[in-house]
Order: sequence, then C-alpha cells, then structure tokens
Amino acid sequence: MDPLIVTQAINVLYAVSTLAVLALGLAVIFGLLGVLNIAHGEFVMIGAYCAYVTQSNGWPYLAAVPFTLAVCGLLGLAVEWAMIQPLYRRPFDTLVATWGLSLLLRKIAEAIFGLGFYSVNIPLPGTVQFFGTEYPVYRLVLIAISVAVVASLVLWYGGSRTGSRIRAMVSNPELAQAQGISVRWLAAGTFIVGTCLAGLGGVMVAPLVPVQPFMGLDYVLRAFFVLIVGGLGSVSGLLSGAVVIGGFDSVISAATNAANGYFAVLVLSILFLWLRPRGIIARG
Amino acid sequence: MRAASLVVLIAVVLPFVLGQFWAYQLGLYALYAAAAVGVGLCWGRAGFLPLGQSLFFGLSAYLSGLAFIAFQGHPVVAVLALPFAALVSALLAYAIGVVVFRRTGESGAYFSMITLALCLLAFQIATSWNSVTGGFNGLKGIPGLPGLDDISDVYYVGAAILLAVLAFAGWVYAAPIGVLWQALAQNERRLQLFGFDTNQIKSLAFGASGLMAGLGGAVYAPQQGIVTPQAVGFGLSADLVIWAAVGGRGNLIGPVVGTMVVGSLTAQLRDTLPFWEVLMAVFFIVIVLMFPKGIAGFAEPLAWLLRSQRDRLVVAAPKSTAARPPARLVLDGVGVHVGEVTILDRLSLDFDAAGIFCVIGPNGAGKTSMFNVVSGELAAGSGTIALGGVNVVGLPPNRVSGLGVARKLQIPSVFPELTIADNLAIALWSGRATKLQLLAPRLRRWTSPMLQELQSRYPFLASGTRKAAELSHGEQQILELAMALLTEPRVLLLDEPCAGLSPEETGAVMEIVRWAAKRLGGAIIIIEHDMSLVKELAEVVYVLHNGTLLARGSVAEIQADPNVRAVYVGGEK
Repeated sequence: MDPLIVTQAINVLYAVSTLAVLALGLAVIFGLLGVLNIAHGEFVMIGAYCAYVTQSNGWPYLAAVPFTLAVCGLLGLAVEWAMIQPLYRRPFDTLVATWGLSLLLRKIAEAIFGLGFYSVNIPLPGTVQFFGTEYPVYRLVLIAISVAVVASLVLWYGGSRTGSRIRAMVSNPELAQAQGISVRWLAAGTFIVGTCLAGLGGVMVAPLVPVQPFMGLDYVLRAFFVLIVGGLGSVSGLLSGAVVIGGFDSVISAATNAANGYFAVLVLSILFLWLRPRGIIARG
Repeated sequence: MRAASLVVLIAVVLPFVLGQFWAYQLGLYALYAAAAVGVGLCWGRAGFLPLGQSLFFGLSAYLSGLAFIAFQGHPVVAVLALPFAALVSALLAYAIGVVVFRRTGESGAYFSMITLALCLLAFQIATSWNSVTGGFNGLKGIPGLPGLDDISDVYYVGAAILLAVLAFAGWVYAAPIGVLWQALAQNERRLQLFGFDTNQIKSLAFGASGLMAGLGGAVYAPQQGIVTPQAVGFGLSADLVIWAAVGGRGNLIGPVVGTMVVGSLTAQLRDTLPFWEVLMAVFFIVIVLMFPKGIAGFAEPLAWLLRSQRDRLVVAAPKSTAARPPARLVLDGVGVHVGEVTILDRLSLDFDAAGIFCVIGPNGAGKTSMFNVVSGELAAGSGTIALGGVNVVGLPPNRVSGLGVARKLQIPSVFPELTIADNLAIALWSGRATKLQLLAPRLRRWTSPMLQELQSRYPFLASGTRKAAELSHGEQQILELAMALLTEPRVLLLDEPCAGLSPEETGAVMEIVRWAAKRLGGAIIIIEHDMSLVKELAEVVYVLHNGTLLARGSVAEIQADPNVRAVYVGGEK
C-alpha cells in the first residue's frame, strides 16, 4: 500500500476519534439535559492548561488526568449549582449564561497565563512502523484511548443502574423524582461527566496543539457541528457526525488549507440544518 | 421628540465638556455603539442572540477601506462607497438569516452558534487572504474622510452615524415591524397563526442589525486609517454582546450607554487593574441573569420625564385582503401518522360555509390534531383539505391564515409583554397591512368597526396601555378570541374556548360566539367537552373517535346514536 495513503488514513482516523471524545461531553450535556454548554471548549482549554502545569512541575504526564478531572469536576459542580440548575428549561438563558461563562473562563486563563502560546511536550515521543510507514506513537495511543473512552461510557450508560436512572430522568423528570430518583443530583452528575470529558479531551490533545486561552472556541464549534450532523441522542449519531465532520475537515485541510476545511464543515453543517435538521440518525 | 432633542444636544456638547482625548475615543466608540444597537435589536427585541456581529462591522470596514484606497484621488466616489459597504453587510446578514431561519425556524442555540462560526471563519479569511486584506497586519494607509482632519470632526462623524442609527432604530421600534419583533420573541406560534412569515420577520431584524453594524464599520475604516482582522474578530463580537447587555438590550439607548460606559472604563482600567476583564465577565453574567434591563432598567423610573402626552387618534383600517365570501371546509381522507401511531385515520369531514359546529369526542380522538392539520401546523400524510376548493395541505400556517382561517388555542395564547392595544393591532394588521406599511408607525392606531364593537362590549379591551400579562385568565381568553375575530376569518377554529372560565365568563364567550357567527357570516368550529355548551351552540355536532368520524348530526341525533353512547359510556365499540 502507498505509505502516504496509509498515513492519511490514520490521520483521518485520529481526527475522527479525538473529535468523538471532544464532542462526547457536549453531546452528553445537550442530549440529556437540553443545555447547550457554549463553555464546553473552555473546559477543553482547562484540561490543556492542567496538562501544561503538570508537565512544567515535572510530574508524570498521567498525573494530568486526575488533576484535570478534579479541576473540571469541581468547576462543573460549581457552575451547575450557580447557573445551570436555576435555569433548567430556560434554554435561551442557559445559552447566554454559558456564553458568559466561556468568556469568564477565557479571561481567567488570560489573567493567569497571559495571552501567549504554551507548548506541551509529547509524553510518548517516537514513531512506529505501520504498514510500511512511520507513524507517531502518541497519536496511535490517542486513537486507542478515544475508542476506549467512548466505548466504556456507552457500555456504562446502557448497563448500569445509574445509566437507567438517567434515562428515566430524561424521559420524565417528575415521574423519575416520584420514583425516588434524586433528579437534582443526577442532573448535576451528568453535567460534571460532560465537563470532565471535555477536560480529558484537553489533556489528550494538549501536546499536539498550541495551548492558549482562545483554543476552546474552535473545539466547541467543531463539537457542535458533530451534533448538528449526527443528531442528538444516539451513539451512532455521534460517531457518524464525528466521521463526517472530522473526515471532511482533515481531507480538505490536507488537500488545500485549514481555512477551506473549516469553511467546508461550516457549509456542511448549515446544509444539514436545512435538509436533515435532526441529523443523520434521528431519534424517534 | 423631547428625548431625541436631548440626545442630540448631549452629543453636540460632549466634546467641549470632555476634551480632545475623550472626543477621539468617543468618536470610535460611537461606531461600535451603532453595531451594539443592532445587537440590542436582535437580542432585546426579536429574541435571538447573534454572537458574531463583528462579521458585518468588519466586512463593511474592509470594503470601505478598499474603496478609499482605490479611489484615493476621487474622494466623492469614496464617500459614496460608505452606504454601499453598509448595504453589503445588511444583505449578507439578511441572507444568513433566511438560510438559517428558513428551514427550521431555529432562532435559539443553533443560530447563535452559526453566527459565532461565521465570525471565526471571517477572521481566518481576513488573516490569510494577504493580497486583499493585508493579512495579519491589516489594511493600512486608508485616506481619511475628505475635509475632516480635526479630532473633533472625527468625533462628530462618529456621533452623526450613531444618531442616524438611533433615529432608524427609534423609527422601526415605533413601527409595526418593531412590535412584531417583540411579539416574535414572546409567542412565535401565535404570530404564525396570524399569517405572518416569522422567518422573514426574523431575517429582517438580522438584516437591520447588519445594516447598523455595517454603517459603523464603513466609517471606521477612514476614521481609523487602518482595518485589521480584529475588526471582524471574535473579541469585538463578544464586546458588542456585553455592551448591549450591560446598557440594557431591550432599550433603544441602552446599548449606546453600555458601549460608552464599559468601553471607556475598559480603556482606562485594562492595564492598571489586571483582573478587570475577569470582573467584567462576572459582571456580565450577573447582569444577564439578574438585571436583564441593564443600566437602562435603573433609569426607568425617570422615563416619565421624557414621555410626551398625546392623544392617540385612531385611524380606520382598510378591508382585510383575507376577507372573502364564506366557503366550505372539506377534509377528505386525511391521514396523520407519527411513527407507529395513527393520529388521524382517513378522516373525512364536511363543514358548511356558515354556522356554528361543535366537534366532540373522548380524549385522544384527534380533535386538536384535526385543527392542527387544518391550520397547517401538522403535516397531513394523505388526503386533502379544501377551503372553497383550494387545497391547503402543505401550506405553512401563515399562508393558511391568509386564506381566512383563524384559530384560538386552548390555553390562552397572547403576547404577554405587549399592551392590549398592540395585541389587538397585530390582529388587525393580519391580512390587512402590506409589507411596506409595516414600517408606518400610524398603523398602531388602526381600528375597525369590529374592534369598536368588541371594545364597547368588553371595556377592558380599550384600556390600551395595560400589558396582556396583567389580565386575568378569563380576560386573556376573551382577548385572544377578540384577536382571532379581528382578522374577520371565513373559518374560525376555537379549541375549548371556555376551558377554565367562571359561569359568567362562559356566558360572555357564548354570547360573543353567537354574535360573531352572525357578524362574520362564516363557519365557527368549536372543540368542546361541556355538553351543555354544545347543546346551546351547535347547529351540527361531529363526534370523533380514534382519529376518524364516528357520527354527525344534530345534538338530539347524536345523543340517540348507540355508537356514540357506547364510546362515551365505555361499552364495547
């Protein structure tokens, strides 16, 4: 096989799988709670800064994972309590509030770290032979981790008691409450899972991108495009959305330039909004 | 008028009071404020939030900058480019509105996110298209406006643009279109049922905001002499939203106050107070969640100082274009299925052109769904619905309304934050006002013989300045019924008009229905559970069961029908 094609194919696979993780948190919060968290990208940014702080202190890179989960979890809890929970079922106010939150988190990052770029060293340097071509190990590991994260969340949601309680809450909050399910805490937990997933995504991509306060905007938009194209409420939708957006973007960016790739996914998303407003795989 | 002259006076004397440095700063902020007024229009009036408004500011700035450079020796040509650049921004905004709103009617999160994405895309193009935009360093060496080199001139040009934008905004807010924008934010469905193309009305709001941002941006280029990608950047878009919110997004002057106050404070404090911008972000969240009226809200108690007391003379409204001779409404084999569930099962109904008809049936029989397919809100999978021979299947609700179908919803559906007078005026505009007339403020004083009769029957309908939200449940039912009647429909659909009313109020509604039947001469179709009402009103009764017609006839015939008795008493079907 042509090595260039193999490299490109793995690149697309890498783009799709990381995008799926980056969109997963947004999908969990939007799909289950009906809250579009515009600050999702800023939680990715926080994860990336956590990775930077971990590395600059000389800690092992894996320490960034619990560090990020703690930061994003506590922050998610505080945010859910202060501005999400009081606004449930007021989607427009939530939109404005999370937009304000994204602004706030960016400004805080700016005040602490400045506007400059930071780079994070790749924790697993080196390449491996792969179908006659060299490919960076870290990216291959990321693909594996992405698959594992998505699969384990799906299995847990489908199989655990908490998963079925969440499903009960989504379909009928009042009835779920009457059945003795604490909707209040379940919703908070769901929100925190979403923010932690975003932070985890940030730790994963940090070594491959410049870490800076504005990095989150790009991620939240791409994740949002995935949800438009894939539709809400199913894993197959999320994956197909990630395949379409990630695949389109990386192919067109590789063939021309990044601005064209961005333009292409934007146009594609608007087309989907027009032609299939409920996504490729619509629920119900 | 008094308010307007006060604003102009302030604008004129400001540079003398504040000095040259501030005059220069305010000249720039005046242009940003023009764009912020547009954000206020979309967000505070029409109820959708544009997150990428700098796209229109920056696009126009680049266009006018390019024109000023290209026509360096011909200042007059260059000045003519200013309105052109603003118009391009306006048209782009309108087109984006049409594209995004058209398909889904979506004006919430999706719209906001797409405007944000477009703004980031514009920033990318501006930084990478070196040959045209000058790339990251921007478009440099733009000549100034001819004959204006003094700093105070810069201020006055900015102030003049801002005042023009405010005059435009003040005018459209006072015009019917401004009322429709507010109505849209409160109850979009009701507006569609009154025959308004809400997606177009939203697109017009976004287009108007694009024009405002475009005017600011067009003058920005010659005023600053340079346009960098920051002019289309996300940062400016975010600032515009903050300024509009802090000043008061629903208020005409609010966004201007916000821009001037926050903008100048930021310029002063950004460098000395390291956490200033963090504080601003917190302040923004608090304002949005707890003080949606912003600074302008605190000044509201003073508003009476500026209010001019004038008698509102009424103007006779023209005849409704929807008013046509009465016609038969015929449903033939209408089927509606959602997934596995059959909502309407080849339903065939035939209503005479004139009379009062009652539709009854157990819960889930498909009564309200039948109304929904007739009014165009629910798509019929099969069959035809003909009104006077015209098939209405597939028409959107606003077109069906234009054919002379009015509807009163089960739960009173009015525009709660509008005055009673504006609620009634919207009903009068339905089918009567041309698109151009929606810009004429005098339409708010329209009246019709029908309205005057209704007002003499129900005096609360004449208390113009009260908000609809202040009315009791029963009064809201009557207000909505009155609004539906004002469109003078051929077919009036009433969904349980007496639900939740006291016996006196029920009597009032029955009286108004009988009166309307005579007055309109058309068909009134009522969904009703209360058999005593049905007995009083109905000429013909239709019984629906499981999405199809079970029986039709006079009240006595229906009561004698063994099938109907079986369904109601609970026997076997």
